[in-house]
Amino acid sequence: MKTRAIILILSVLVGYTNKVFGNDNQYAEAMAKNIQTVYSSQSIAELQGAVNALERIASAEKTKWEPYYYAAFGDIMIAHREQEGTKKDAFLDQAIANIENAKKISAKESEIVALEGFVHIIRITVNPATRGQQYSGLAMQTLGRALSLNPENPRALALIAQTQYGTAQFLGSPTTEACATNAAALEKFATFKSENPLAPKWGKGMAEEVAGNCK
Amino acid sequence: MLMTLQSFAQVKISGHVVEAGGDPIPGVNVFLAGTYDGGSTDVNGYFEFQTQAQGRSLLTARFVGYKEFAQEIEIQSENFEFTIKLTETINELQAVTITAGAFTASDVSRRTVFRALDIATTAGATADIAGALNTLPGTQKVGESGRLFVRGGDGNETRTFIDGLVVLDAYKPSAPNTPSRGRFLPFMFKGTSFSTGGYSAEYGQALSSALVLDSKDKGELTRTDFGILSVGGDVGHTQVWDHGSIGGKVQYTNLRPYVGLINQEVDWENAPVSLEASTAFRQEVGKHGLFKFYGNFNLSNFSLYQHGIDDYNQTTLYDLTNKYQYLNGFYKTSLNKNWSAQGGISFTSIDEKALLGASLIDELQKGLHIKTVVAGSLSENVELRSGVEIISRAYDQKFSADAERNFYSFHEIVSAAFVEADLYASNHFVVRTGARLEHVNLTRQFSVDPRLSLAYKLGADGQVSIAYGRFRQSAKDEFIKVDPLIDAEKASHFIFNYQYVKNNKTFRVETYYKSYSDLVKYPDADPVKLSNDGTGDAKGLEVFWRDNESINRLDYWISYSYLDTRRNYLNFPHRATPSFASKHNVSVVAKYFVQKIKSQIGATYSFTSGRPYNDPNTSVFNQLRTPYYADLSFNWSYLPTTSVIVYFSCTNLIGRDNIFGYEYSKIPSADGSFNGRPIRQPAPRFLFLGIFITLSRDKSVNQLPSL
Repeated sequence: MKTRAIILILSVLVGYTNKVFGNDNQYAEAMAKNIQTVYSSQSIAELQGAVNALERIASAEKTKWEPYYYAAFGDIMIAHREQEGTKKDAFLDQAIANIENAKKISAKESEIVALEGFVHIIRITVNPATRGQQYSGLAMQTLGRALSLNPENPRALALIAQTQYGTAQFLGSPTTEACATNAAALEKFATFKSENPLAPKWGKGMAEEVAGNCK
Repeated sequence: MLMTLQSFAQVKISGHVVEAGGDPIPGVNVFLAGTYDGGSTDVNGYFEFQTQAQGRSLLTARFVGYKEFAQEIEIQSENFEFTIKLTETINELQAVTITAGAFTASDVSRRTVFRALDIATTAGATADIAGALNTLPGTQKVGESGRLFVRGGDGNETRTFIDGLVVLDAYKPSAPNTPSRGRFLPFMFKGTSFSTGGYSAEYGQALSSALVLDSKDKGELTRTDFGILSVGGDVGHTQVWDHGSIGGKVQYTNLRPYVGLINQEVDWENAPVSLEASTAFRQEVGKHGLFKFYGNFNLSNFSLYQHGIDDYNQTTLYDLTNKYQYLNGFYKTSLNKNWSAQGGISFTSIDEKALLGASLIDELQKGLHIKTVVAGSLSENVELRSGVEIISRAYDQKFSADAERNFYSFHEIVSAAFVEADLYASNHFVVRTGARLEHVNLTRQFSVDPRLSLAYKLGADGQVSIAYGRFRQSAKDEFIKVDPLIDAEKASHFIFNYQYVKNNKTFRVETYYKSYSDLVKYPDADPVKLSNDGTGDAKGLEVFWRDNESINRLDYWISYSYLDTRRNYLNFPHRATPSFASKHNVSVVAKYFVQKIKSQIGATYSFTSGRPYNDPNTSVFNQLRTPYYADLSFNWSYLPTTSVIVYFSCTNLIGRDNIFGYEYSKIPSADGSFNGRPIRQPAPRFLFLGIFITLSRDKSVNQLPSL
């Protein structure tokens, strides 16, 4: 489970292409720079710097959910790189706090709910044997909600496929269902469009990785 | 920054962020509130950033685990340099907690040494809460009872609480000398706190131990569960909506076919049959409120023949029917950011009819418990918890044998109030102090019992804690019914604990002294002339080691308890070790997941040194010891698909003929000696096979957590 999660994180980045954002203003620039960092940096210090910057932006831009969203994403990346379980949990708690703030601004945003599902998945990696059951259930439930808010959200679907795949592997059962979900996720990635220039763009690489294992 | 070259006034703000002790804190977010301007501290705690802001600004420093710092500054053209001191917040993850006497099992808190799932998957426990907790230090195995006997205390001295409300009889009825099972299934609870002493002032009417169960909040998934058991079957359904859930379960068990197949020590007329229904309703109220309702209804019956000790062919029919209802309503809400309130009402009704030969005992007990608790923070370092409660119990017993008729009844009302404060000197040191005030209507007595515990963290992983408390519990029903003025029994606990937790490894050692006073005592064998002259004490040392890290997929723990206890109570002629107390108890529990065969395999070994028994043919009371008790149990959970589990368990693989004690005839035989016979296990082994199927929209869920 642990190694799977690492593959998952690394492959988050493969599908991401760095675009120059349309609006040439302070917000878009600052966001672009920090989003780039949380997507690609390997260093905890850099990630923490970006998370801090995103939280600052969030404190100034009181109507935008994206700064909190990417701050939470950065927290998840830090949690993933931390070795110690209690520290991982502390950063995941911080991610949840940022997600809650984002939800206060945009309660029905599917992407935010999907990110919450991602947090549950990373929780499992702290101790798969004891946490697997509880958190995979929670993750599935949360991701299901994300999908009901926006059936076109490829990340929600890809994370569901990821959880199904992990569970199937853990139990040694067939991965047919996981692979089917994953194929559906890849289709959604191909057609995913958002009016929002800051919309999340990660996750395609992860789905491609699973698709590779499904062959 | 892009605009540094422009002609606006640029001010540089720089400095260091340090801990109270002067150590630098890296990663701190230092910024002017409401602006983009700020920076993060480096490894030396140094930060610097530029700003064009002018005038009054709020300089803010924020980092996980520290209190936010904010200071108003006036920015003109000068550069600023600051040293900012951050103080730690007292938070659940890092803060020291009181561990003396307490074992908590929870899926929510991540610092626990024992998880809810552990209860379900412990071999030998067959998903019984008490059975699993019996593998922890501080408990003594009493195989013929199945209840929790803690540190020289009788099974009755451990009380069970659900959402803070007392449960009057937490165990299902069982035939004499056969183990009983708890009424509540482990998967109902999100947290279990098992305290073997020194527990909170919130919990009264418990002399030795408090088992505190927190029921789950809203259900997570809509699902339907079926169970096909070798001894019956069950069906359950949970329906979940946005802000609530409702669940129900019906279980029917019938041991008749089973005891027909496997030879039993007990001469059953009708082996136990039980019909049980439970329901749980959850509704979130507004943003902060949660309402919970739980109901449990159980009807059970069995009958058996008791054989005479002197003459085996002389039999007496014993027939028992028990009707049980437990209803628990609970509401919790937060009053504001720092304070929360909760309240609950529980109602218990137990109607038990026991027929023994020609005599009939009809016992009706009704209990009502009303409680409210307010909890919150007085300040960053002081947590307060306070509440009031009323525990009312009405007891009626009718006894009839031939022409003889007896009625006993009493109505006891215990009114209580408690207050308790946690004072955090730092993340490393906490003191908990509290008191409990009680009034009992029957004795018209007020009492105040103090509690005190403290814990000190020795480093990142180790800590010591000590606890002291005075506890009281009303005498057993059988005594109050004959003498309503009999006073409560009392105990004082002194506990010292050391605990080390690192990387999924836990080491605990605990030592204690407990003294009993005002225990019920009566002369000879006649429990009519009662007094509170009984005394006793217990001391012991306990060690616990758990490791689920070192060997991949293996989780194991080892518990050892040493107990030295003596009492002079009931009809004891002098101080002696009671028959339920054993000197040495060892449990070794191991669980291993074998991926190849999709199975979790578990084994539990328990050892209990010989227990005292009294042979009336000898001159010294309770002097003799039974042979030691040993058991090796095994369980196997097989998960062929994600929605099906096949579960098999077997106790006593080695087939040891365990003897729990001896019973003797009350009348001497012709040669003046008393005949006796051993109390044995009802059968050498108990085999259990179950198939559990879960239907839900999301197929990756199965019942493993609930097994």
